Amino acid sequence: MLEHYFPILVLLGAALAIGGGAMGFSYLVGPKRPYHEKLDQYECGFAPLGRIRMRFDVRFYLIAIIFIVFDIEAAFLFPWAVAFESIGLIGFIEMMLFLSVLLVGYAYVWKKGALEWE
Amino acid sequence: MAVEQLDIHLVLMMPEILVAIMAMALLLLSAWTHKGGAGVIHWLTMMTIVAVVLVIQVGSGTATTFGGQFITDDFSRYVKVVMCLGMVLPVLMSADYIRGHGMDGGEYHVVTMFAMLGGMIMASSGGFLILYLGLELMSLSLYVLAAWRRDDRCSSEAGLKYFVLGSVASGLLLYGISMVYGVTGGTGFAEVASFLGKPEGHGSQLLALGVVMILAGMGFKIAAVPFHMWAPDVYQGAPTPVTAFMSVVPKVAAIAALFRILFDVFPTYHVQWVPILQLFAVLSMAVGAFGGLVQTNIKRLLAYSSIGHVGYMLIGLVANSQAGAQGVLVYITIYLFMTVGVFGLIIAFDRQGLGENISDYQGLARKQPVMAFVMAMFMFSMAGIPPLAGFIGKFSIFMAAVKGGFIPLAVVGVLFSAVGAFYYIRVVKVMYFDQPEGEFKVTLSGGGFIVVSLSLFMIFFWGILPGDLLAWTGASVQAFH
Repeated sequence: MLEHYFPILVLLGAALAIGGGAMGFSYLVGPKRPYHEKLDQYECGFAPLGRIRMRFDVRFYLIAIIFIVFDIEAAFLFPWAVAFESIGLIGFIEMMLFLSVLLVGYAYVWKKGALEWE
Repeated sequence: MAVEQLDIHLVLMMPEILVAIMAMALLLLSAWTHKGGAGVIHWLTMMTIVAVVLVIQVGSGTATTFGGQFITDDFSRYVKVVMCLGMVLPVLMSADYIRGHGMDGGEYHVVTMFAMLGGMIMASSGGFLILYLGLELMSLSLYVLAAWRRDDRCSSEAGLKYFVLGSVASGLLLYGISMVYGVTGGTGFAEVASFLGKPEGHGSQLLALGVVMILAGMGFKIAAVPFHMWAPDVYQGAPTPVTAFMSVVPKVAAIAALFRILFDVFPTYHVQWVPILQLFAVLSMAVGAFGGLVQTNIKRLLAYSSIGHVGYMLIGLVANSQAGAQGVLVYITIYLFMTVGVFGLIIAFDRQGLGENISDYQGLARKQPVMAFVMAMFMFSMAGIPPLAGFIGKFSIFMAAVKGGFIPLAVVGVLFSAVGAFYYIRVVKVMYFDQPEGEFKVTLSGGGFIVVSLSLFMIFFWGILPGDLLAWTGASVQAFH
């Protein structure tokens, strides 16, 4: 079974050779004349305005987590909808259970005010 | 195309369903009542757990549901009752700790219930996927619990450490499961076991590797050496009731799951897993015995102590027999009461502003002889000194090892338990023979009094009359053969 993967191995080898080769050659034969502006972070061509490691508001993190939860919900819902004909009533009930569990979490988050920006 | 009708018997899952529904209901209650509902949630949690224990008792015999993915038998019922106790006792004794440290609001109870739910699912799992689901539900809840006091640096550190290391362990476990699936073509315990019963199921290197990885992943959850690095920091950093909870419930759940995996699925691979577990057991006992010698913080000391205790429990697994399984159940039940009792006292000390250093207990016996006596009894029991129950636990484990022909292992176990006795007794020495520096006014809260006196009673009662415990555990392990 493993021999079916041989083309992928070839592709992997070629990708490594080309990528590694380009970086290796430029490291070996390319001229190196570093100066401050060249080493600086790139910001659309003008002088950098702030530090490169910005702090993000913790609220983005919360939004990201909630997004992941509902993203996964959607990922479950699509195959369920496609297979709906064959899984019948039990499939419907199980998905409703899953959604109601999610809904409990959503209600909690909403009531706690985690969704309010200010 | 019609899908095969699943055999669904929800009645078998009643305890789990009850916990899940109540946890979600209490979560909503906590959101709608804010801090006002904390007391109500506290008592509703207790009542739920009592109800769950009663519901567990209703079941009998061995049955499976969801196509064999979920098993209930006497073993899982016993383990679930232990888990319920391991959850409800820390909650009961820590009502005012939770209030005093700003942990009230109900979510603490809810997350603890979810952690226990995960453990119960693990104990009843009939397949690798549901095992993993239960494990993750438990672990994710525990990561949150460890970091509960997020304004406290130690607690945040504990949560983060536990999370990072725990995810690696979960990854190892999943990788092992994928190897088992790759070889056998199934994830249900029954499917895998029936494949291994056939001639082509013998001697697969890949499968052996998968078993090793599964052992590594589970070894992390029970803090067996060499996967114990997280335990001292997490035990110290986590809030004390959480430490009490996580030194019992996850261990019970993971050991129960290990029993199912090793005894029911991989009995033909015992040539592979017995030496590995033997190594885990010896190393755990060694680290538990020697690591504890230099600790100054009582919670760190108990972390090393729990590593050592896991080493003894693993001997019961190594023995690979019903007697070994029974020994582990006896040990874990007694360990539950010893641990909960000690943490109950630590919470009482914390209430009076005493620190967590062992030196803070200097001369406790002069001022408060009763407190010091109770603490000393728990320490003697942990060291395994008769007539306390800790001795019965160690005795049944070592007897199983001797019967199974693992005499050197039993001898090593006895030696390490002698080394470990030193640091338990050092705590007693500090309390009894050192001069007190300040005043002590240690009092137990109402719940704390109930828990500590119950634990004290149990370690005396089972130390002298272990008959009932031996009978219950003996009946519970009939499922294994």
